[in-house]
Amino acid sequence: MDLNFSKEDIQFRDEVRDWLNNGGYPEHVKYKQDNDEALTRQDMVDFHKAVSAKGWMGYNWPVEYGGTGWTPTQLYIYNQEFGKAGCPPLLAFGVSMVGPVIYTFGNDEQKKRFLPDILEFNTWWCQGYSEPGSGSDLASLKTKAVRDGDHYIINGSKTWTTLAQSADWIFVLVRTESTGKKQEGISFILVDMKTPGIEVKPIITIDGEHEVNSVFFTDVKVPAENIIGEEGKGWTYAKFLLAHERFGIAAIGTSMRQLAKLKEVVSDLDNSELNKKVAEVELSISALELTELRLLSALENGGNPGAESSILKIKGTEIQQRLTEIFVEAAGEYALMYPGAHGYGSNDKPSGPEFAAASLSKYLNMRKTSIYGGSNEIQKNIISKFVLGV
Amino acid sequence: MNLNYSEEQTMLREQIQKFCETEYDFYKREDVVKSDNDFDENVWALFAEQGWLSMPFSEESGGFGFGPIELSVLFEEFGKALVIEPYLSTVVLSGTLLDKSNFSGKADVIQSICEGSMHVSLAYAEAAKSYEYNSPSCSLSSDMKLNGTKTLVLNGSNAAKVIVTCMKDDLLTLVIVDTNSEGVSQNSFKTIDGQSCSEITFENVSLSADSIISSGDEASTLLKDALNLATLCVGAEAVGCMTSCYLKTVEYTKGRDQFDQPISNFQVLQHRMVDMFIESELAKSLLFKAMLEVDVDSEEKYKHVSALKAHVGKSGKLSAQDAVQLHGGMGVSDEMMIGHYLKKMISIDALFGNADHHLALFSK
Repeated sequence: MDLNFSKEDIQFRDEVRDWLNNGGYPEHVKYKQDNDEALTRQDMVDFHKAVSAKGWMGYNWPVEYGGTGWTPTQLYIYNQEFGKAGCPPLLAFGVSMVGPVIYTFGNDEQKKRFLPDILEFNTWWCQGYSEPGSGSDLASLKTKAVRDGDHYIINGSKTWTTLAQSADWIFVLVRTESTGKKQEGISFILVDMKTPGIEVKPIITIDGEHEVNSVFFTDVKVPAENIIGEEGKGWTYAKFLLAHERFGIAAIGTSMRQLAKLKEVVSDLDNSELNKKVAEVELSISALELTELRLLSALENGGNPGAESSILKIKGTEIQQRLTEIFVEAAGEYALMYPGAHGYGSNDKPSGPEFAAASLSKYLNMRKTSIYGGSNEIQKNIISKFVLGV
Repeated sequence: MNLNYSEEQTMLREQIQKFCETEYDFYKREDVVKSDNDFDENVWALFAEQGWLSMPFSEESGGFGFGPIELSVLFEEFGKALVIEPYLSTVVLSGTLLDKSNFSGKADVIQSICEGSMHVSLAYAEAAKSYEYNSPSCSLSSDMKLNGTKTLVLNGSNAAKVIVTCMKDDLLTLVIVDTNSEGVSQNSFKTIDGQSCSEITFENVSLSADSIISSGDEASTLLKDALNLATLCVGAEAVGCMTSCYLKTVEYTKGRDQFDQPISNFQVLQHRMVDMFIESELAKSLLFKAMLEVDVDSEEKYKHVSALKAHVGKSGKLSAQDAVQLHGGMGVSDEMMIGHYLKKMISIDALFGNADHHLALFSK
């Protein structure tokens, strides 16, 4: 056994660090991220275009489709270094979700039409999965697509659609058949957000932010050529996509960066109770890091970690949440003066430590992590069924 | 990076597993625990025969030169079977300390340990000293008289020799003492996990100059490293216990019918078992880090053992408590094995610094 990365992997890590530190990571995005300022749509596009220009957008794609063809270890290093540098998370919807579905199940025409724009970040994708009545029980979805000549007519609604307000395209799970098992009769279709009949309405979350939306479809006419694979086989593709979503879900690099900041904050306070809480979360990060490396090592040796990776989702999100909780505790009563989504308006910044303003908003925002991507309770069901066999 | 066990390491595990499954029955173990014997002499002889008692010693000392990975494999399997034989005390604490020292008489002692013909204990703890082991009250005078009382000497009553920490001329000093020397007296106790320990008092025990193993900084390092390795070993043992706790609980709940169905159907129990599984996997991850760093030449080698010990002290105990809870009334029945994992976890947490102590060391 050996915990050290190979010479090649260390070279790769240095290359990633060099790019991040020496001009690759756009300065204006870095400044805002480091100072807890909100990013605009253009900032996100600039960041993704920069990654794309370096050739790193297809981080989990095979070389034949323009991907990097990286090993699991390289992917881990890339993700961790981006997290440690404080980068915004790369949007998963295009490159990590719909991309692999298209190159695995799509036809040549679809590959040619969609893949290059994903790699160059010319199209911003969003995900049409959840519905008002279908959360963890995704297969119960009701949005309907009815074939009409060479088109489908879509009616229904999707919800919790992240950044739909910025998106150019949406991939949608629709019901094309209502009889039989609920998993059957689901299809996977790509829809241009500019199609008439689509309406996006913001959902404001408890941190005051507009990140998610409701998306309503009223007689939306979509060319039949936009369906992926076979009609009625969408559930297979949907599950395949969720497996790809696991990339970086533990967010260890990001948590390490937050931990380092938290330690600075807490060291000034001389509070042994807080110190202990920080030590506990540091211990959890160390345990999770090694767990991810163990899964990685098994993967590189031809194993299939499968349901064990649900541990990464559960513990990774618990750690992210825990860090924000301790920040809020460290801010003490200054956490009360909450700036909201639009800052303090014409007022001066309140007194109190610098980190206090952002602490509560991050805390509230991070509540989502144990809910999305298959809630942590669903992850426990998965482990229970596939690992414990009960 | 490679975090997979080698073929030899896997074979070693299979060999130990086979022994534990076929030769180390829990009810036989209970008979020994309840008898006047502290462990099974035949089992100890078998350990010697298999070469397990020689595992961690350098080849110059007649050992196999195996490292912390193999020791961890052994202790993980010992943890699953709740082995009571005093491997930790004789081989790890005493044997590896001697092996790393420049003590002139170490070859004979280590040879006897390997053969299984001698037990040695390390007397490092004193009452009212908590987890501070570097400034014992026990003293060695300039005319070489040893005085003081040591507590929690693991397997002390079976030891022919005991390594004692004491102060001589304001320096931490390690001496080796024959337990049949004049002035040595001891009280022996069973421990909660079915093992034994002693309180040993030394009253004007005369030592010769060649009973000094080491003193000063070298002695501190020898002691610290032996305790660190032993802490790694009980950490591995705890990982074995945690693995057994969730596996046995899953098995039990699948076979226990209530309300016309196996209780494993109930989601509230499923999620608790998943929590037990997750905690054992995290413990295993910390074990990997600790065993792979325990030989590095920096403070890191203590830090990651502390991480492991802090984790198993807290979550290992919780897992064992959950295992008892999910076994219902059977969980608190002494004749069932499951409750004995809880006793083991309590004893592991108490040894060499508990969870809080090691959490503080980890975050230093």
